[in-house]
Amino acid sequence: MSAKPRETANVGAGLWKATGMWAWLLFRISGLVLVFYLGAHIIVISTGQFGADGGTFNSVMEFLEHPVALILDLALVVAVLYHALNGVRIILMDFGVGIHRHKIMFWSAMAVVVICFAFFAWVLLDHLIATDWGGGG
Amino acid sequence: MKAQVVSTYRGGMWSWVFQRITAVLLIVCLAIHLFFTHILSIGELDYENVANRLAHGTLTAVDIILLAAGIYHALNGLRMVLMDYWLTSRTRARAVTYALWAVGIAFLVYGIWGLWPWIGY
Repeated sequence: MSAKPRETANVGAGLWKATGMWAWLLFRISGLVLVFYLGAHIIVISTGQFGADGGTFNSVMEFLEHPVALILDLALVVAVLYHALNGVRIILMDFGVGIHRHKIMFWSAMAVVVICFAFFAWVLLDHLIATDWGGGG
Repeated sequence: MKAQVVSTYRGGMWSWVFQRITAVLLIVCLAIHLFFTHILSIGELDYENVANRLAHGTLTAVDIILLAAGIYHALNGLRMVLMDYWLTSRTRARAVTYALWAVGIAFLVYGIWGLWPWIGY
């Protein structure tokens, strides 16, 4: 394969500029955050092995249901959604879909991120109003 | 330009293929996991709640697929980042690859052990 089509397939159509560069940088940052989270998540869930009848696990879960922790969860949702949807865009482009329309691809992916995020945010807000913030809990 | 093209495949063809396969698995299984665990059970997460959910074999399978695919995807991604910045020599890259496999298998075993009280609940 000559140099030109390989360039087109990988970094062509201005992918290494502006939108494409930020997409890449945020993809990498969110990826590293998620690696860290996965390790922490496995360790947190493994507390199910400690304490009688899941006592340790229950106290950890109680701590993680503090409103501040729940709002941090929402930040995690952003990292997951961004990484997932930008990943979908990358896989589609691996198959040659939208290479020359990668900005439209990127902003369509971001629209899906916003819609999914709105759903999670609404569920959380509804929960917080029903409990911590509504005086009902 | 050429260096960027090559770097895309520096991790090897199979790691590229498996990174895509695990990505698709993660999207599907994570959607299921988040829906059942964090949407349906919001505010109710405790030992009993997890036990009730993992009483369904399908959801246990989803969690174990998530563990394996997530660990592979995470550590292979981390390996790509490391290769971009300071793993210039082939020998060092190989050493880190083996080290990450060891870390990944340890986390997989630990993760399954962590789920064990609920699997046999």
